[in-house]
Amino acid sequence: MAIEATKRANMRRASLRSIVSLLIGSKEPPMASQAAMGFFTDTSICIGCKACEIACKQWNQLPASEPLWTGSSYDNTGQLSATTWRHVQFIERIERPDIPLLQPVPALMSGSQSTALPFFNSDRWLMQSDVCKHCANAPCLEACPTGSIIRTEFDTVYVQQDICNGCGYCVVACPFGVIARDQYGDRKAHKCTLCYDRLKDGFEPACAKACPTDSIQFGEVEQLKAHARERLGMLHERGVKEAQLYGVDDHILDGGLNSFFLLLDQPEVYNLPQNPQRPSNNVIPASLWTIVAAAVMGLLGIVIFKK
Amino acid sequence: MEEARLPKVFTNGTLPATIAEQLATITTGYTPDSELELQEPSYYDYPVLKAPVWRWEIIWYFFFGGLAAGCYVIASITALFGSSEDRPVARAGYYLSLLSVLPCPILLIKDLGKPDRFLHMLRIFKVKSPMSMGTWGLLSFSLFSGVTAVIQAARDGILGRWWGSRLLAALPQRFLAIPGSALGVFLGGYTGVLLTATSIPLWSRSKVLGAIFISSAFSTSSALISLVLRLTRTPTQALHKLERLEWVALLVEMVGLFSFLRGTGRAARPLVGTGPTEHGRTFWSFVAGTGLILPWLLQTLTLLTGRSAKRRSGRGIVISLLVLMGGYFLRRTMIEAGHTSSADARTTLWNAKR
Repeated sequence: MAIEATKRANMRRASLRSIVSLLIGSKEPPMASQAAMGFFTDTSICIGCKACEIACKQWNQLPASEPLWTGSSYDNTGQLSATTWRHVQFIERIERPDIPLLQPVPALMSGSQSTALPFFNSDRWLMQSDVCKHCANAPCLEACPTGSIIRTEFDTVYVQQDICNGCGYCVVACPFGVIARDQYGDRKAHKCTLCYDRLKDGFEPACAKACPTDSIQFGEVEQLKAHARERLGMLHERGVKEAQLYGVDDHILDGGLNSFFLLLDQPEVYNLPQNPQRPSNNVIPASLWTIVAAAVMGLLGIVIFKK
Repeated sequence: MEEARLPKVFTNGTLPATIAEQLATITTGYTPDSELELQEPSYYDYPVLKAPVWRWEIIWYFFFGGLAAGCYVIASITALFGSSEDRPVARAGYYLSLLSVLPCPILLIKDLGKPDRFLHMLRIFKVKSPMSMGTWGLLSFSLFSGVTAVIQAARDGILGRWWGSRLLAALPQRFLAIPGSALGVFLGGYTGVLLTATSIPLWSRSKVLGAIFISSAFSTSSALISLVLRLTRTPTQALHKLERLEWVALLVEMVGLFSFLRGTGRAARPLVGTGPTEHGRTFWSFVAGTGLILPWLLQTLTLLTGRSAKRRSGRGIVISLLVLMGGYFLRRTMIEAGHTSSADARTTLWNAKR
């Protein structure tokens, strides 16, 4: 609804501008500015229903993955892939940190832990719906040599399928292991589009729409970030001290993430890198070292051959 | 404690695991502590990163690209600064450069998910993307390498004695050599920069992979040129100079590799460690051992002791073959260990804690 209103306002502005440009005889104006849109995934209210996974597959017509039994948790999806753009993690926090995993059974039985009621102990499930982070400085976009990966008017990162030639550079550039090449299908790079097609028509992305607890929220990035901070404060107030935000400030990848998270443990528990480096920052130092080595060998080569 | 963790197996003629393991610990400055690593949190050890999609095509491209670049640069140095007796080096270098650059585009196109869309690489010119720059660099280098080799062929009388050949022979090859060499240095080094500009811990943690690749381009190219000159029995005093250049390049490569391992630390384990998925045994046997240190020592011996020309030639051929093999295995273990590195969740998460 909010989108609807801004869209209409934008269209009005755009038409006004096109009339002005017609009178002056200038070129077509650039596309009307549009607020950055993103996701706020609040893992504290995720119930692990996987509705987002299914909604995403259905809307984007993604094929089901090979049935796989991971044996480690209720998560048989395993990871994001070229055909899985939402992935719900199940992190089992049942064992206590002070009990080593391989302790003899009698020692466990004699402890007082076995009498604790489930409601009053810290055993819990952590669930998180993982997705593309739509980074403000996206390494996949920076790496792409064809210009296939672009930033849309919604400030999201989008792979143009008619351009991608499957070179695979974005795959190793992404520090979150999100974007993947479809090795069994069309051999092109795929990832979450933030439902670009739905956004164009003023709908929210399929996963956010389907989420029954509003763990996945969609909206303007700035508003969502304010809301995320508010929610964090509320949780801290209620004693959930371990709650923390991931990707809200500008710390990660020199500009933050447009799709960010509220976590109930340190990022590593969710396989999220704490402070990944921006691959493109390596280009200059690596080039300088290359030039130094080449200069040393070139100059010595000249000295050797000049005699 | 320390000994119990080391696997005590001797396998397929490579270095014993214990020696490789000790070398790994010394060079990386990191002693693996599996108990401590197991306490680091991760999500059921599922990989944080996606595995690279690059395989044998890229390994051979890196090898041939390095040869094409190095041969051109060495040939240009001899053409610009050398004496008349160095001519055979320039001639062989320019021909070998063109021959080595020919398979490169084929390998790169085959490696694409959509080979029929290879022209999409030429849609844009993106300074931030080493792959985009590499595409343009390879394209322009091929042009220089091709034209230079054709001029060389015309001067050598391979193209016949008609007017077109005479015109080509009159073209200023020396003027092409300077921009061509700059592009050559780019081609030989950008591949390492490309791997550094990724999120794979092994490739990106230290920033010297480009320096290693360019020095390997120099060493393998001087090995190839001297090998060809020796096999064709071209009498030239320039072989001695070529050997010295090779010695320098191998030294730079060793220094680069050592600083790479030091700078990468724990993340270098997939390359130098001896675990089931790690490539340490191949690395210490074929890259560092017989591919780098052994030929360098042999070369030192040759340069120090003036031996008879015949024995020298035999040893020179062995050195060349060892260096070429080492250059190939350097690229191969680096790519394959990158696959291992991408699968290691704990080290990836450790690498991102800065």
